[in-house]
Amino acid sequence: MKISFRHVAIRLALLLALPAVVHAQTPSDPVSLAGDVKAVKIVTAEDGTQRTELIEPTVIVPGDQLVFGTSYANNGADPVTNFIVTNPLPSAVRLAPDADPLLSVSVDGGKTWDVLAALAVTNPDGTTRAATHEDVTHVRWVLASIAPGEQGRLTYPAIIR
Amino acid sequence: MITQSNFASRFTISLLTPLVLGAALPAAAQAAGVTAGTLIENTAQATYDESGATRTITSNTVRVRVDELIDVTLTSLDSGPQQATASEAVLAFELTNQGNGPEAFLLTANPAVAGNAFEMTVRGLAVDSNANGIYDPGIDPILSAPETTAVMAAGDKLTVFVLVTLPSGLSDGQQSAVDLSARAVTGTGAPGTVFTGAGSDGVNAIIGMTEAFAKETGRVVAGVAAVSLVKSVSLRDPFGGTGAVPGTVATFTITASVAGSGSVAGLVVTDTIPQGTTYAPGTLGLDGTGLTDATDGDAGTASDASGISVTLGRFPQGPRIP
Repeated sequence: MKISFRHVAIRLALLLALPAVVHAQTPSDPVSLAGDVKAVKIVTAEDGTQRTELIEPTVIVPGDQLVFGTSYANNGADPVTNFIVTNPLPSAVRLAPDADPLLSVSVDGGKTWDVLAALAVTNPDGTTRAATHEDVTHVRWVLASIAPGEQGRLTYPAIIR
Repeated sequence: MITQSNFASRFTISLLTPLVLGAALPAAAQAAGVTAGTLIENTAQATYDESGATRTITSNTVRVRVDELIDVTLTSLDSGPQQATASEAVLAFELTNQGNGPEAFLLTANPAVAGNAFEMTVRGLAVDSNANGIYDPGIDPILSAPETTAVMAAGDKLTVFVLVTLPSGLSDGQQSAVDLSARAVTGTGAPGTVFTGAGSDGVNAIIGMTEAFAKETGRVVAGVAAVSLVKSVSLRDPFGGTGAVPGTVATFTITASVAGSGSVAGLVVTDTIPQGTTYAPGTLGLDGTGLTDATDGDAGTASDASGISVTLGRFPQGPRIP
């Protein structure tokens, strides 16, 4: 799943599309953060081609793929800078192999961050090996700045262990 | 002497990794996966700088509960057709709960398999309660109808015995098969069939690639035993020759043999002392070992009046009479 931040000028229409949930933030926070989860469904057309659809999760069993999404919006009048969003992966899921390879991840509980290809894991006997998707404990995004009225959506794919 | 036939080894494994609709191929090799009912929660946190201050905000928590996947496999534990002993045989199977939640399974044994040379009677289905791989009569319980296992945890295995009885009048080496099938109590059906709220903790249950149904075949071979006795005699006359004259010592040898792959029980060989001869006391022997004439703890008795009697018991496993 490719990570994309959509820069949208009209904030009102998209605010209506956000799930109506209670945000854990004070009223003076200009930035809102909302989470959601979708299930990946593979649909096979009559001609045999396959496409994926994102649907509300219904039945979820080991092996199924989910997409966790985080939507953000700067509702204030000033720009915000150094916007870092961190998502700890639930222990029951692992990062899917089709995650963006440029995604900043951690395999040590959030202490260090890099792209997955650059990370290593220490074995119990002291040797090291390259980190795999199954080792990822956290994912994060760093946005230099968000202009007033700007919003976007960050997602990562996960598979039920 | 009869030797038991060797049968070719036959070993089948049927193990399926659950592959669910709408999923990328699971790379993990676990058969069970995350336990049904597990709650998955995801919360995002963000920090940012605004107007010179650093703020932290947290998103809402999204929650997804893992549902129950139902899968089952059966494997024969016998390395080849089982030899029937005294018209009875025991077949062993291993049942595995391949799903991710607790499940019980309904068992059915069907002896009417196409191609059977003869049909066996299923005496019952027993559970290997002490997990020693052997059917222990009186210890391993025989399930009463409808034969259903106890609830098994995800990934658990259970050894099930099918007890069969063979009919009489069989030929040595004839084979018969019995099919054991297992189906999940929650339900069976095409992969992807959903039983809403029927999983553990009230989650949904969904049928996996095994259709929540497994079937495996066990085979039995009839071992029929036919006992034959062959008697021979060697003579030694008083002059060192082999003539039959008064004073000749006649040594009678009775060879007992069993044809077929089976065995008999309680075999006793008897013979009368031929007219015109007198039994030489103390000369009864079994495979080179002397037997006393009197009725005592050893296998033989002999007298002029009653003839000889040697108890071989279970045969083969008994030696020849010299």
